[in-house]
Amino acid sequence: MKKIMVGNHAVSWGVMLSRAEVISAYPITPQTSIVEELSVLCADGRLKAKFIPVESEHSAMACVIGASAAGVRTFTATSSQGLALMHEMLHWASGSRLPIVMANVNRSLGSPFNIWGEQSDSLAQRDTGWLQIYCESNQEVLDTVIQAFKIAEKVLLPVMVVLDAFVLSHTAEPVDIPDGNIVGQFLPAYKPQFRIDPQDPRTFACFAPPDFFMEFRYKMQKAMLESQAVCKEVDGQFGEIFGRGYGLVEAYRCEGADLILMTAGAITSTARVAVDALREKGRKVGLLKLRLFRPFPKDEVLEVIRHAEKVAVVDRSLSLGLGGIFAHELRAAMCNEPVRPPIYSYITGLGGRDTTLQTINEIVYQTYERSEPDEQSIWIGMRG
Amino acid sequence: MSDQILLNTEKDIPYQPISLGSMEWNKTGTWRYLRPRFDNKVSPCNEGCPAGQDIEAAMVLIGKGRVLEAWDLFKEENPFPGVCGRVCYHPCESSCNRAEFDEAVSINALERFMADTAFKHGRRVGLKREKKKEKVAIIGSGPAGLTCAYHLARLGYGATVFEALPVLGGMLRVGIPEYRLPKKVLEAEIDQILEMGVNTEINTRFGENLLQKDLKEYAAVFLALGNHVSKRLGIPGEDGDWAMSGVEFLRKISLGKEVPLGKRVVIIGGGNTAIDTARTAQRLGAKPSILYRRTREEMPAFPAEIHEAEEEGIDISFLVSPVRLFLEDGVKKLECVKNRLGPPDEDGRRRPVEVKGSNFLLEVDQVFTAIGEDADLTALPKKIGIENHAIPTDERGATKQEGVFAGGDIIQQPHTVVHAIGSGKRAAIFIDCFLQNKKWERVFDAVRIGERGSLSMRRYLLDEKEWETKSTKTVRLQDLNLDYFEPKKRKRPTKAPMAKRQGTFEEVNIGFPEETAVAEAQRCFNCGVCNLCDNCYIFCPDVAIRKENGNNVIDYDHCKGCGICVEECPRDAMIMEEEGR
Repeated sequence: MKKIMVGNHAVSWGVMLSRAEVISAYPITPQTSIVEELSVLCADGRLKAKFIPVESEHSAMACVIGASAAGVRTFTATSSQGLALMHEMLHWASGSRLPIVMANVNRSLGSPFNIWGEQSDSLAQRDTGWLQIYCESNQEVLDTVIQAFKIAEKVLLPVMVVLDAFVLSHTAEPVDIPDGNIVGQFLPAYKPQFRIDPQDPRTFACFAPPDFFMEFRYKMQKAMLESQAVCKEVDGQFGEIFGRGYGLVEAYRCEGADLILMTAGAITSTARVAVDALREKGRKVGLLKLRLFRPFPKDEVLEVIRHAEKVAVVDRSLSLGLGGIFAHELRAAMCNEPVRPPIYSYITGLGGRDTTLQTINEIVYQTYERSEPDEQSIWIGMRG
Repeated sequence: MSDQILLNTEKDIPYQPISLGSMEWNKTGTWRYLRPRFDNKVSPCNEGCPAGQDIEAAMVLIGKGRVLEAWDLFKEENPFPGVCGRVCYHPCESSCNRAEFDEAVSINALERFMADTAFKHGRRVGLKREKKKEKVAIIGSGPAGLTCAYHLARLGYGATVFEALPVLGGMLRVGIPEYRLPKKVLEAEIDQILEMGVNTEINTRFGENLLQKDLKEYAAVFLALGNHVSKRLGIPGEDGDWAMSGVEFLRKISLGKEVPLGKRVVIIGGGNTAIDTARTAQRLGAKPSILYRRTREEMPAFPAEIHEAEEEGIDISFLVSPVRLFLEDGVKKLECVKNRLGPPDEDGRRRPVEVKGSNFLLEVDQVFTAIGEDADLTALPKKIGIENHAIPTDERGATKQEGVFAGGDIIQQPHTVVHAIGSGKRAAIFIDCFLQNKKWERVFDAVRIGERGSLSMRRYLLDEKEWETKSTKTVRLQDLNLDYFEPKKRKRPTKAPMAKRQGTFEEVNIGFPEETAVAEAQRCFNCGVCNLCDNCYIFCPDVAIRKENGNNVIDYDHCKGCGICVEECPRDAMIMEEEGR
């Protein structure tokens, strides 16, 4: 069944199809309509979940941590400042090894106050032990939510599904809604090994003194690294059943490319159009879409960019004092590779400024122009 | 430390930070610098009940369907729940925190429900104390006298009640009409008092056939003569044979005598006696109307009774004063004058001021005066002294003569049944202190409920060691955690249909059926008293509330003193204190 729906509702419907049992969230623009729709689905019985309204995102995450520890499938959603407020709890969720799924609608962080799209909010949480998957379309959003539950419950780490403010969250597209029964076969009920149970009392998120703490972190890191294979496997299974797969990364028209653009999220769609036009003109430009960001799929990325002459990373994020975050993640991942293309870093579209075809073309043009990358990221689309 | 599990290698450690054994060895209580404690406080209804009844605890029991046990609790304090459940003006309800939230709990109707249920089951009061040698004389068998006798009997004293009239009960018997308080209810409760071994001597009037010297054999005396003498209007014609006091009329009707009424009956006054007189006259076939010199605002009668009188069609004229009664051409006439309200007088009510030239005449068959009652205290010894028509007493109810206590309407307190009952109980406690040489000041502090003079017999009978463990704080609405309460409509008892309120003395109020009573009792907030709602147990993040013998207790070995239990207690039954180290 196809429906026209905004990205936020695609999230909600993905959660409904995944049969989450406890949902707790606090409204924040541009995420609010995710929980609004979920509360409707809960109220009218289409989703048999306990919906817990709370007074803050910190509490929302605390609620789903408790519920997840009690052994049920849980979901929350937030954005920007809300995600920042959750920060402490994000560590508790992952450290407790709870398979919570959260949607984050990318939005800038104040000050100055701004509600528009930027990927800095989720990228600032990259070290919290959450898997992060960036989506390009509303269809991908719905599919990724379903995949995220399966991945999380396999690797016992929380997963953040990331979508762009307004460009996805509030823009309607046709979305194919998979059959609930088939989703049920793909994603069976969550059966935890341990859960809060008065008959078998245990302390969850217990105390670990210096003689034990490192081992817990080591196991998390191992799980994080292994999750890459799980993500790939789950996406593969999903593709077999539903006919749609996304991969950890996607190479678009990269055959024989001398310049490869790297994007994540909805900018990818704009870049596709730009690449098509450039290819028309005979330019050998390709596009690498980064879908899984944490853990960073280094081998998959390397496979795509190995033979390119240049890579230009389009960052809608900023690590202050460093530069574009995807670019620097890529530079760090590649630094020990003997054969690797130089990596050019561009900052664009902060605080929701439109990233247009012209922006992409400018990035391509500047990358061709330069003989080697600048140390600092180059800002595109600034006022003159 | 015995059940610690050894984790030697990385592989022994679980993937999830989860305890594989008990963590109780970790005594987190040492982190605490504040300490929560269960601390039951005073509920405002208990403080507001002059008879000192444990209303809050009774509500818990009724709410659980344990009605007879609730009645037992009430009977610890008051021998007359059946009476009070009908005629009390229920200051408990005006003190009820729920009154500020939505509507007060129907405590009065629930008291009656308990009494009716106990009556149906033939329930009796237990607790007999060992006999004491001292005997106590009680003068007057009204609510004060009989309550004092009841408690003295339970304390083991031989009590003798002297009554001037041929019947027991005082104003309960001869002042309150049958339709408000059926005789069989009163008699049943009096019988239970007599069953405890109280002696009575009827037709024995102090100063006539009972003299001071006759009381020599008694170790203490309780004076509860009551106010049976109607105040005089002081107008010409008042002593004519077609004018009578309302009190005398009610007494005569109660005793089965006939009073010729005619049709046009006028009652002068605005108190409960005026209302009772009018409603009784109406039931005997008259067409009564009430004249009151001020307005409805200033009427001393209880609003519920004024309302019921008006429901029954009794006319009340306001701002009218009588001038004289006279006969003219064989027609009985009452001359009246109209008033307006002037400035307030010493009791704060606005004084009526005559409107010159507004006189008018009423043709009447019978006039009743009901402007208040006084006691006949002429036979009392001089030493006791009389101030403002009342016997002065101290906090114990003791008079200026040693061993003589007083209560009811003859002391300075509101003239209500429940105050009379409270004063009777107070006298019993302090007569016991007097006779057993107990320091009464300490007792007073130990047994008082809040700040409004209510005393608890149950606390008095506790072991003295338990007297120390009492909070004196009365819980107010702002002390409650209102997140846990929802508005819920007050249940009202049903009344007899109007047809049964005309020409008959059948009881007007019918009371609650059981399920209504249970639901109404469950509306009670249980202010200040733990009712095992288990919020503390549920919210404690350290599982430091434990269940022990059906009670919640705090496990101080593990309580970190976070205070969540105290915060989430709906009813202010817990407090935080500084940790004493």
